[in-house]
Amino acid sequence: MPTVASADRIDYPGRPTRAPVIEVDALSKRYGSRLAVNEVSFRVEQGEIVGFLGPNGAGKTTTLRMLTGYLAPTGGKIQIDGIDAVGNSIQARARLGYMPEGVPLYRDMRVYEYLRHRASLKRVPEVGAAVDRTLELAGVADAKNRIVGQLSKGYRQRVALAEALIADPPLLVLDEPTSGLDPNQVRQFRELVRGFGGAKTVFLSTHILSEVQAVCDRVIIIREGRKVADLTLDETTELENMFAELTTGNASEGGS
Amino acid sequence: MRSAWVVMKRELASFFVSPLAYVVLTSWLIFSGITFWILSEFYARNAVASGADTPLSGFFGGSALFFIPLLVFVPVLTMRLVAGERQAGTLEGLMTAPISEASIIWGKYGAALVMWATLWVPTIVYAWIMGQYGSVDWGAVASSYFGVFCLGAYFMAVGLLMSTVAPTQIIAAVLSFVALGVLFAMGVGEFVLDGTLREVCAYLSMWGHMHSFSKGVVDSRYLVFDFSVALLAVGLSIAVLKAGRHA
Repeated sequence: MPTVASADRIDYPGRPTRAPVIEVDALSKRYGSRLAVNEVSFRVEQGEIVGFLGPNGAGKTTTLRMLTGYLAPTGGKIQIDGIDAVGNSIQARARLGYMPEGVPLYRDMRVYEYLRHRASLKRVPEVGAAVDRTLELAGVADAKNRIVGQLSKGYRQRVALAEALIADPPLLVLDEPTSGLDPNQVRQFRELVRGFGGAKTVFLSTHILSEVQAVCDRVIIIREGRKVADLTLDETTELENMFAELTTGNASEGGS
Repeated sequence: MRSAWVVMKRELASFFVSPLAYVVLTSWLIFSGITFWILSEFYARNAVASGADTPLSGFFGGSALFFIPLLVFVPVLTMRLVAGERQAGTLEGLMTAPISEASIIWGKYGAALVMWATLWVPTIVYAWIMGQYGSVDWGAVASSYFGVFCLGAYFMAVGLLMSTVAPTQIIAAVLSFVALGVLFAMGVGEFVLDGTLREVCAYLSMWGHMHSFSKGVVDSRYLVFDFSVALLAVGLSIAVLKAGRHA
């Protein structure tokens, strides 16, 4: 059985001892009277692919929006690649590529125009080369002259991934990256993410258990805004049973 | 400011590929063309009664016909600036890019000023037509356009603020229409009120504003008003965008 690691300290034998790419400490977000994220803490080391799992409405998107600087936390600390993401939001944002849920893109632009625009916003030094590289990497080079609004969902998803990769950031934050994709596209996507193999850190939210099993080294499970599990995956992990156990019934049972 | 320039370029590219741009520009040209024709007809028939006024000074400063379409077109031009991004979800991408809220807002505002200028460039033809048939006071024409630009700086900033505040484009358009409508109506107060209130209304009056500029009088009080309202609205827009992160 896998062990549930403690919230504040996780030791990975054999990993280089440098600052974690994500370090979150007692992160909270309150919407009016509702506490959407409640004192969540975790660390993600360089090169890890971590799944962020939870039932719908558990606070996954809110947490990701705080990591990426879209929302300011109500309480707690976030460090992205050693940078304080609350105080130095702009510098922290420059260290990550983000693919928001539902992949909102400018529908009136052509694919390469969109990527050029985003590359300039992110101050990529050689825009043309970066656009060509990420078009290739995300597998959308054949659609580069097409208008974003006319693309299929699968292609739009890959354009969004290309956008996240454009500034070659050390961290990728992906919110439900495979929702709406067909099985072939899901497989391609998983191969792509696995292909980053240690070169990039990936933090992805999902509620698809097989996805986590297929691509992630580690999984963090939240429920009703609280972290209920943080564990390293191996072939024997019975994620389905564990997820059901941790995310149903009495919330206070699964302590973090 | 480089990021503001990137935001501005995208906004303008998106504006000029949208049907909205051409509907607004065409409607505005039809409307201003009719206004100019009516004024030319009027002054041609009433040469004595018109005194020092000319069709051009009438066009820029004497006619309510000048403001009515603007009260509609300014909200239409500015409604999408931020509310459109919010509605499409693309605001999230913009606000997670490594750029400041100020860059986003100044970029949007720059684009709005260019849109405003695009409305006015074709109207230079009217001055040229007048020049073919009579004498034109080019100094007054220049100060008219300067006045138009200053008025636009303040109109577009108000529209931008409403677009930043509003959850949807339609609400943004309605809010700008109401805000500009109220500011326009205050100008009428100059004719119905007395004392200090009359002074205040005269100061706020868009009508008085353009009337003065159309005669070639560049009144610095109006400039101070225009630019302070514009700066205030842009500053508030930046604050609203920042506050949105704490929602």
